[in-house]
Amino acid sequence: MHSVVFDGTFAGWRACARQLLEQAVPPEKINWHDSVGSSDLFAQAEPSLAEKSTYTIRVPRQLADLLASAVCFRSDDRWALLYRILWRVVQGDPSAMLAGDEDGSELHRRIKAVHREVHHLHAFLRFRPYERNALPAYVAWHEPAHDVLELAAPHFCDRMGNLSWLIATPDAAALWDGKSLRFERPCPDALKAIAQQQRDEGDSLWQAYYASTFNPARVNSRALANHMPRRFWKDLPEGPLIPTLLSDARIGAQQLAQAEAVGAQAGKTVLIAAERAQPKREPVTALDECRRCELWQQATQAVPGEGPVTARIMLIGEQPGDQEDLAGRPFIGPAGQVLDRALNEAGLDRHALYLTNAVKHFKWTPQGLRRKHVTPDKEIAACRPWLLQELADVRPEIIVALGATAFEALLGYRPEALANYKARPLPLEGGWLIVTYHPSYPLRIQEAAQREAAFQEIVSTLRQARELLEPDKYREKQT
Amino acid sequence: MELTDKLIILADAAKYDVSCASSGAPKRSSKGREGLGSTDGMGICHSFTPDGRCVSLLKILLTNFCLYDCQYCVNRRSSNVPRARFTPEEVVRLTLDFYRRNMISGLFLSSGIIRSSDHTMEQLIQVARLLREEHHFRGYIHLKTIPDADPQLIAQAGLYADRLSVNIELPTETELLRLAPEKNGQSIKKAMGTIRLGVEEAETERKSPRFAPAGQSTQMIVGADATNDRVILDTAQRLYGAYRLKRVYYSAFSPIPDSPRSVPLTPPPLLREHRLYQADFLMRGYGFNAAELPTESGNLPLDIDPKLAWALSNRDIFPLDLNRAEPSLIARVPGIGVLTAKRLATLRQQRRIRYADLIRLRCSLEKAKPFIIVQDYRPALALADSQHLRYQLSEQPAQLALW
Repeated sequence: MHSVVFDGTFAGWRACARQLLEQAVPPEKINWHDSVGSSDLFAQAEPSLAEKSTYTIRVPRQLADLLASAVCFRSDDRWALLYRILWRVVQGDPSAMLAGDEDGSELHRRIKAVHREVHHLHAFLRFRPYERNALPAYVAWHEPAHDVLELAAPHFCDRMGNLSWLIATPDAAALWDGKSLRFERPCPDALKAIAQQQRDEGDSLWQAYYASTFNPARVNSRALANHMPRRFWKDLPEGPLIPTLLSDARIGAQQLAQAEAVGAQAGKTVLIAAERAQPKREPVTALDECRRCELWQQATQAVPGEGPVTARIMLIGEQPGDQEDLAGRPFIGPAGQVLDRALNEAGLDRHALYLTNAVKHFKWTPQGLRRKHVTPDKEIAACRPWLLQELADVRPEIIVALGATAFEALLGYRPEALANYKARPLPLEGGWLIVTYHPSYPLRIQEAAQREAAFQEIVSTLRQARELLEPDKYREKQT
Repeated sequence: MELTDKLIILADAAKYDVSCASSGAPKRSSKGREGLGSTDGMGICHSFTPDGRCVSLLKILLTNFCLYDCQYCVNRRSSNVPRARFTPEEVVRLTLDFYRRNMISGLFLSSGIIRSSDHTMEQLIQVARLLREEHHFRGYIHLKTIPDADPQLIAQAGLYADRLSVNIELPTETELLRLAPEKNGQSIKKAMGTIRLGVEEAETERKSPRFAPAGQSTQMIVGADATNDRVILDTAQRLYGAYRLKRVYYSAFSPIPDSPRSVPLTPPPLLREHRLYQADFLMRGYGFNAAELPTESGNLPLDIDPKLAWALSNRDIFPLDLNRAEPSLIARVPGIGVLTAKRLATLRQQRRIRYADLIRLRCSLEKAKPFIIVQDYRPALALADSQHLRYQLSEQPAQLALW
């Protein structure tokens, strides 16, 4: 049996472990003693371990981190478990560090408990201002179940900024002077006394808040004890309130959610006529109130057309997309950007055109937590009156139908193949209708050359629209 | 009025908003600097009240005077409650004091509607501005957003707040019209849209000022109207999709003093709220669609959790061989979570999974047993019909409270 005595630090243990591995001492042959004073009844005189060793062990980096966190767990066999896992990994059994393994699951359980205890310290520690003009400015007393002060304290340096503080625990203390953090282990009695000082008025303000934010109609003491273990209650200002609040709620003095301290006071209604209480809103447009189909329920808002009523060219798309639905304006999403580029190349000014969609609400379906575009069908006919109204108001000379939905909205049937109509202006109500791809089409094409060809197709249609405005020039070109 | 008295009234008035998260904020530190506070993305629950709910933020109303008459709300104008109003400086003082004492991780500020939506929103922004600019407060700030407020004001709020939230209040617009005559479903959706656009702009353009980095959330009241769980979950899924909400909170309607006749006198079972949260979690973390989750006459079953309900109505998939199945499907087994599914996938690269591994990974085996196959285990119960299995696995009704 090897009896290993070391200073109780992780670094000290690591140095010993390295030498024991070098001498191939199996875990069951070692007794660990993490303080010099302790003695082992069964210890035999051991040749002391060599001071420095050049022996190197190769283990996954992850293992070192796991062992370093598990070491904070208070337990008699904390060093033995670490060595056993290290031994097994070195012997070529890496499953020893996995949560599914016998030793590994214990390791992970300990790590979890340590993290939880760090979190408890961050959550349930309470600072109180120390005596006026004295240092440190704030003091706290906390009793963690594991040796987590060194892990947990740096959090408060970030949190408190320039304010100095002291955290004392039964066996260690952390001190921050606004610039540097230092630890004392064991904790000096003087610091313990400072940290365990009397409650002050700040505590009673917090107690008032705590009692008031509690909803007695939902009392659930099991959840409380699960989340905030009883061992912390004695150092919390709200701790003494808990039993009273619980019993008051339970005996039925409280059937309501309201705090007793509030219910006991005289109430006051706010006197205002219902009409005057109505908030001022932009008047709702007829389009926004449209219920001719079901799309309004899923959509944020109806997206009307945009542009001067004097516009000579009207561009009609399919329906607003994700971005358009949120902002309430047509063609501002990815397809809108393609359109902007195409207009630019065709030499058309977006602001001189009237842009709209065949369907005014976004049709979509949830796909996981995203929304997926759905091609409108029966909504096209339902929404048609709005499009006809826009056509009547603007009376464009040229209509550019972007895609099959716009085509259907205008002509009442779906084109068999859009390509049959491309670059072939159709006379429509004294003007021209020309048809091209929707600007979202190039976005869906993977292959770069084809994508560019589709884009150029849109550009040339838009160019054609511009030329159609000058009929003489257009006729010239045709002949 | 004393500060304590105001605090008692305005904390009581604010507690019906259940959100108390302080997570999702970017890393901020005050180490060695002027000012106070830090965030690291993880929320901290500084206390728990006897209702089992976490206290992470100082959750108060700026005032509980309110022009609106929302029937389900204790602060409606026709409600006979004591009223109070904080000055912005008082809220700042309380926040900083509680924060230094490590009682909170930040502030959740809401307000009754006073004068106008814009005026109310300006007041909320004023508090956040004081905290951030005058006191260099780097803790968490959650601001309630008033739906009818000017988008410019929402943009300003996003500059100071980590999280913004607009409450959807009720699952359908018709019920909103009935119970909250001054509210408007479309204003609420538009405000959510404005927030989402703001968040995304700040995320994509590196130089743009920060905007609500912890995103937005909302709250839906359950049981104040007759809407069933199916509609509630569909609405939630729609909101997640359309506005990229971080969370939808479900708040079981709490009985309030002098309750008007338009709302029920009794609260819905708290278990219903719990089942909705479980279903919501399955949608957010497990890739379930709202439509996949089985309901009985529109509501989630109360005696079994939604994941078990789903498994019981999809018996053809089970028993599932954990040594072969896709990890995403393993996570759908009742009693096995996403983390465990991931660990099992890692473990089976080393060796075959055995029953003892599941015990060590702390799976809820009572639930998982009938649905799994591992190296040394195959369920005998797999033959049992779903009704029988359900009876075995359902949570036995607790004894009725004596009062």
